[in-house]
Amino acid sequence: MAVLQMQKLSICAMKRNRKAILELLQRRGAVEVCDEVEQDSVFEKADTSSACDTFGKNIATALAAIEVLKKYAPVKASMLDSLNGKPIRSENDYYAFEKVSKHIMDTAYEINAHMRRIAEHRAEIIKLQGSIAALSPWLNLDVPLTMKDTADTKVFIGYFPELLTLDALLQKLSEADSALPDVHAEMIGCFQNNTCVFILCKKADAMQVEQVIRSCGFSYPAVSTTHTPSEKTRRLSGQIETLNKEINEAIEAIKGKADVRSELEFAVDYYTMRREKYEVLGRLCQSAHTFVLTGFLPQQVAPVIEAELNAKFEVYVEISDLTDADDPPVLLKNNAFAAPVEGVLESFGLPTKTEIDPSAVMAFFYYVLFGLMFADAGYGLIMVAVCGIILLKFKNISSGLKKSLMMFFYCGISTTIWGFMFGGLFGNLLETVSGTFFGKVVTTPTLWFAPINEPMRMLIYSMAIGVIHLFTGLVLKAIQLIRQKQFLDVLYDVVFWLVIISSLIILLLGTKLFTDMSQMNIVMPAWVSTACTIAAAVSAIGIILTSGRESKNLFKRILKGLYGLYGVTGYLGDILSYSRLLALGLAGGVIATVINQMGSMMGGGVLGAVFFVIVFLIGHTLNFGINILGAYVHTNRLQFVEFFGKFYEGGGRKFAPFTTHTKFYHFKEENKNG
Amino acid sequence: MDNLGLVFAVLGAIISAAFAGLGSAKGVGMCGEAGAGAVSEDPSLFGKVLILQLLPGTQGIYGLLVAFITLSQIGILGGNPDISVAKGLMYLAACLPMGIVGWQSAVKQGQASLASIALVSKRPDQAGKAIIFPAMVETYAILALLISILAVSGVTGLNI
Repeated sequence: MAVLQMQKLSICAMKRNRKAILELLQRRGAVEVCDEVEQDSVFEKADTSSACDTFGKNIATALAAIEVLKKYAPVKASMLDSLNGKPIRSENDYYAFEKVSKHIMDTAYEINAHMRRIAEHRAEIIKLQGSIAALSPWLNLDVPLTMKDTADTKVFIGYFPELLTLDALLQKLSEADSALPDVHAEMIGCFQNNTCVFILCKKADAMQVEQVIRSCGFSYPAVSTTHTPSEKTRRLSGQIETLNKEINEAIEAIKGKADVRSELEFAVDYYTMRREKYEVLGRLCQSAHTFVLTGFLPQQVAPVIEAELNAKFEVYVEISDLTDADDPPVLLKNNAFAAPVEGVLESFGLPTKTEIDPSAVMAFFYYVLFGLMFADAGYGLIMVAVCGIILLKFKNISSGLKKSLMMFFYCGISTTIWGFMFGGLFGNLLETVSGTFFGKVVTTPTLWFAPINEPMRMLIYSMAIGVIHLFTGLVLKAIQLIRQKQFLDVLYDVVFWLVIISSLIILLLGTKLFTDMSQMNIVMPAWVSTACTIAAAVSAIGIILTSGRESKNLFKRILKGLYGLYGVTGYLGDILSYSRLLALGLAGGVIATVINQMGSMMGGGVLGAVFFVIVFLIGHTLNFGINILGAYVHTNRLQFVEFFGKFYEGGGRKFAPFTTHTKFYHFKEENKNG
Repeated sequence: MDNLGLVFAVLGAIISAAFAGLGSAKGVGMCGEAGAGAVSEDPSLFGKVLILQLLPGTQGIYGLLVAFITLSQIGILGGNPDISVAKGLMYLAACLPMGIVGWQSAVKQGQASLASIALVSKRPDQAGKAIIFPAMVETYAILALLISILAVSGVTGLNI
């Protein structure tokens, strides 16, 4: 349960050792580089942006080539592969890669060039197919579309905007002009609602005929070729075939390069690591022969790093403690019980300098509250089994996923325990199955009581757990204040509130209202009531006097104090919020009961059993999904709003060490002996 | 009219299931539209957006729950249906909180989830905070569920 103590690291070393020192730090992944030293007359920052850009381009090229390979030479990958983690390569592979990097990048460029050619050809093919489609109504024409005339005749090739037969066309033309000269017309084809025609007339009549046909809606075709349409179509098809052949050749070439895939992935990781190194390089202050590097590192690894640097290089290393002016990053370290909830804490916000790490306390309440809301032994056992098997079988999972699985593993244990306490095993499965199929009703073992039978009792207990949770929050606040040496604030902000809330609760327990609601008769001895009343009054006055202590004006201070006292109603709301423990537990249990009831509707016998199994699988899977989502969300809400609201704000910056962020491979140290 | 009490009680159960379901359908539906838009820009957001879409769906389940409890208490789902008019009216009243609050809170929770989906598409790493915003609205549905269940169970125990 701790925020690791950070220390400041300052290194001054010779420039010629620059790359080696950075590589060492990157491999250790323990230092967060910070930009503390300013540029001045002696020290300057180098501009490495062009190198970083080159590496960035190489990464993008390699990634694009990998995508192309994935498309044309795919590798079968199953869903479980992501659980296998990244394959491991050694340090030596990294150094050896430098020699082959140019060759690999050339291959990547080749693959991308093939891909570009394929895309261009495909676009060209679409265009050609469009042209062929436009020519299709004209295929019956055995002269070129551009033919305008012969020695003595004029030719009109075009289309009319309606569907016509030959007779209808000639009739239309004579109607348009009674003195129509002789024309010869032929139908060629039709497209959409147009008819394609070929009209021939004497050159002398050309003008008149042209006027007539234009008045009937004649237009020239949109396409034109110097070949006949069928010849043109044949040529276009030939072009398409050539393009298709070239596409296939390119695809074969790409497939032939498929064995380069792992090298390309290595290239991505190689250039990523180099780019990160150069980015840090650009932040170093360098003089003519030396450079300076500053950063944060956890106190517990400081001696190791210092020793290693001194052993390998000629260097000046200084490890110093933090001053108040520093803004250190936050790195949490917790035991195996509390570490899984660090992810949830991170999604809210990491602790700032003045705050403690609430992970351990939060973990305990998280598992308990989750279990209370989900409360079914059957579902709990499924969670434990699934998480346990995945954790045992896949040793190489990423740490974030591993933490989540551990969290659900513990939540599963808690769910199972509360399930047995409240008598829920897939709802009332045992009763339903034994009653329907075996005639004798076996009850689910209930170690405590069943909330569905005594809801008020469960409500009281839920609110009691809420009170414990809230008071724990207040105690943590006191711890934080003591650490800051603000002892009087402990009295004003924590002790008064603990006293007033506890005394009000104890007073409430003795009232008739409570006795009627809870059917529990608690007899309050008179001295307890008097003591609580006095305690409540004293703490109320204390709150009124001190809640507004920032104000110098006495009147304002008292007013703010009264407003602070109004915060008691806030506590009422917070405590009532925990009634969701009852509500969600009941909801899950009743839905499970209903599912079992529906499953048993077909009665006993083989058919009924089959039906029951089907309904069981579908219904309980749905119930599991809905309820686990609800339990997760509401547990988070209770932690974030009610618990953290008492003492914790978050807002710390996460420790971002200079390390390797690889996508495909995991680089391990060679074990050097001696 | 005979069995008027039964009529009122069934009416109450149906109101609880229907209105809460209506609200959930609307809430989940509007989030589905936004989710489709978010995933069209960035398919890797699918898991996070799906969870946000599912959040307003719980009110429909709660409404169904109260309806089941009511129907089984009055004897329609197994048992002997026979209740007085006064009791029937009380069952009707007991189911109203879940129906009305479930309806409105589901719609509002859908709107909050909608905004959270926008948050997640802009900043995918803040999914944890994004889930909390619609979850705050669910408090009221849970309180209504609680009261409806307690009231229905309480009315059953009455001897009128």
